[in-house]
Amino acid sequence: MTDDAARTLGRGSAPPGPVPEGLIRLYSMRFCPYAHRTRLVLQAKGIRHEVININLRNKPEWYFTKHPFGKIPVLENSKCQLIYESVIACEYLDDAYPGRKLYPCDSYERARQKMLLDLFYKVPHLTKECLIASRCGRECADLKLALRQEFCNLEEILGYQNTVFFGGDCISMIDYLFWPWFERLDVYGIADCVNHTPALRLWIAAMKQDPTVCALLIDKNIFLGFLNLYFQNNPDAFDYGLSC
Amino acid sequence: MRFCPFAKRTLLVLKAKGIGHEVININLKNKPEWFFKKNPFGLVPVLENSQGQVIYESAITCEYLDEAYPGKKLLPDDPYEKACQKMVFELFSKVPPLLLSFLRRQNKEDCSGLKEELHKEFSKLEEVLTNKKTTFFGGSSLSMIDYLIWPWFEWLVALELNEYVNHTPNLKLWMEAMMKDPAVSSLFIDPKAFRGFLDLYLQNNLEACDYGL
Repeated sequence: MTDDAARTLGRGSAPPGPVPEGLIRLYSMRFCPYAHRTRLVLQAKGIRHEVININLRNKPEWYFTKHPFGKIPVLENSKCQLIYESVIACEYLDDAYPGRKLYPCDSYERARQKMLLDLFYKVPHLTKECLIASRCGRECADLKLALRQEFCNLEEILGYQNTVFFGGDCISMIDYLFWPWFERLDVYGIADCVNHTPALRLWIAAMKQDPTVCALLIDKNIFLGFLNLYFQNNPDAFDYGLSC
Repeated sequence: MRFCPFAKRTLLVLKAKGIGHEVININLKNKPEWFFKKNPFGLVPVLENSQGQVIYESAITCEYLDEAYPGKKLLPDDPYEKACQKMVFELFSKVPPLLLSFLRRQNKEDCSGLKEELHKEFSKLEEVLTNKKTTFFGGSSLSMIDYLIWPWFEWLVALELNEYVNHTPNLKLWMEAMMKDPAVSSLFIDPKAFRGFLDLYLQNNLEACDYGL
């Protein structure tokens, strides 16, 4: 049903047609952590969807009609409605589609999840900077220290709540919103940043048991292959691991 | 704090929904130690209810109030319309720090670069109104997104800087329509008090937050 294994579309490609009724389309890239959030929600809620992967180093001209700056992820439905910013897209899916609700129903608990998201805001930037530094052979001890501090804040939350997941005893939206960066700790070479945060390590282990997370887990060697090509500025990086 | 635009968002929603509330103003230049137990970041606004539940971050407080209290819904029910309001909110996000920088520098340094940036941001908002062909950012009636962005435009009115929306006619019309809203007009900032506060605040004066009382 999903087209996660589709080759990217780049400059010169023909624009895709309208989204068929009954489907929602996600503009994505297989290794992007922000798009990963949206893919997790689509999977968790069992939403029928198609994926168009975009070559982020060689964006199709038509893609700027979907997002003014050509960013991903973007959702497009059969009414030609476009939704972007990963968190907005995830909330839209939770609101618009029936079945399992990923955000809690209680207004205070919903607010708590949104406050937790704010606590997380430095993590994406720090993990990316660590990756770039290590790939470029630069020192990143300060960055790792800063990242460990952020992880300590998250550890404190889990400790205070005494629950496995950030939203309680069951996995919920906030866990999926955090997950993509934790899945990447290993391939980014910064897995040791959770050495001093046992509750966070337990959370990671619990997340890896979640069927949705498992279904979308990216093979480590493929990810490393992508990273190698990406840092060599190879425009074929985004299609690494796909069979011809 | 009486002059904080972020807290103003929450006050507007409380007023618009007719929610009974009490206000404790915090001296942001000299914060009480106990306040950090309410919000570890030490920022306003913070909501606290009788169950001891604490909610902070202005946009989160506003959404919480809309969900938790009955009456007029400020956020639309339709998931796409709700998402649109959040996308406009993101579009607006550069305005608060820009406007603050602009006010800090006024009369002191050349701020033509900042002026240009502000024009650029206002043009983005103008485009939304032009494309939607409605008076307000959420449609033909005033809704959450209008209240969320209003406090910074209120500053423009209070400081007589309306000329900054001269090149964005729909935005100008929106401001005029907002001034007619009962919640907006009943909470309208006193221009003299605001200017007095701003002068003291920019000098880091501890008394700034109580100016005019």
